[in-house]
Amino acid sequence: MALASRGTDQRVSKRKFAREIREFRRLAGTYRERGWYLAEATFPIAVVVMAAKNVKPPALVMGIRFDYTDYDSIPPSVQLVDPFTSEPYHANDLPTQLKRSVGTTNVQVLGLPDGVALPQLVQHQPLMQAYGDSDTPFLCLAGVREYHEHPGHSGDAWELHRASGAGRLVRLLEIIDRYGTAPITGYNLQLDVKIAGYSQQVVPE
Amino acid sequence: MPDPQIELTIVVNGQPTQVRANPHAPLLTVIEKALAQTQNTGQPASNWELNYGGNVLDPKQKIESFNFPAAATIFLNLKAGIGGAG
Repeated sequence: MALASRGTDQRVSKRKFAREIREFRRLAGTYRERGWYLAEATFPIAVVVMAAKNVKPPALVMGIRFDYTDYDSIPPSVQLVDPFTSEPYHANDLPTQLKRSVGTTNVQVLGLPDGVALPQLVQHQPLMQAYGDSDTPFLCLAGVREYHEHPGHSGDAWELHRASGAGRLVRLLEIIDRYGTAPITGYNLQLDVKIAGYSQQVVPE
Repeated sequence: MPDPQIELTIVVNGQPTQVRANPHAPLLTVIEKALAQTQNTGQPASNWELNYGGNVLDPKQKIESFNFPAAATIFLNLKAGIGGAG
């Protein structure tokens, strides 16, 4: 269900968008050290590219496209996009699902003697949600337009979060960085081994 | 007598503010001051988290225990909350 814009004054939205960009640029050097680069900033669109700096060589992980149309009478739209083309990722192409750990549950094991600690299962919840692999996923987070438009979140209105800055650019980047790029510590490698013949220790005379 | 207060740059949802704090006090006092100075009063301090150098800081620990350098920039942001299942 699309949120109605309620006739937002475009001058207000433009001013608020300009504030987001100005504040980002003010600390651009600090953000660069964290691997954040502002690639585009033309109202109402901002695109930030995020790199994982802790891997060697560093990896350009994703772009994040923000649409601040009618902000902040409605929250910004947020999409993870290809950093080179700004095309939104499909669910099966996402470079990260922004997984967060949401606690542990005890695993019941039949026959375990009394007093032995039950094994615990750590639960992970992806912040990126989609119905199918070919769908464009959305960021399931208060402060994001797609979250508040979702019928399952009709009880958590944007108005409850608006005043606390939940839709602000850097706040959303912090969340995406914390669960997306910051935890990346290396590359997953997949080797495709093919048999290319036999080896032998000696060649007989 | 030297001023026992230290000054930290706190970036609240992207907006920087200078906070003077007692190094013997818990870090929570910095959160409360930064929120008040930037007029972010809509959410309690417990809904915010401080991030420095990629680490989320424990607000109950004393400020001096973190050994912040003079030009430390610390990021204060709203927590993600528990999202819906989509």
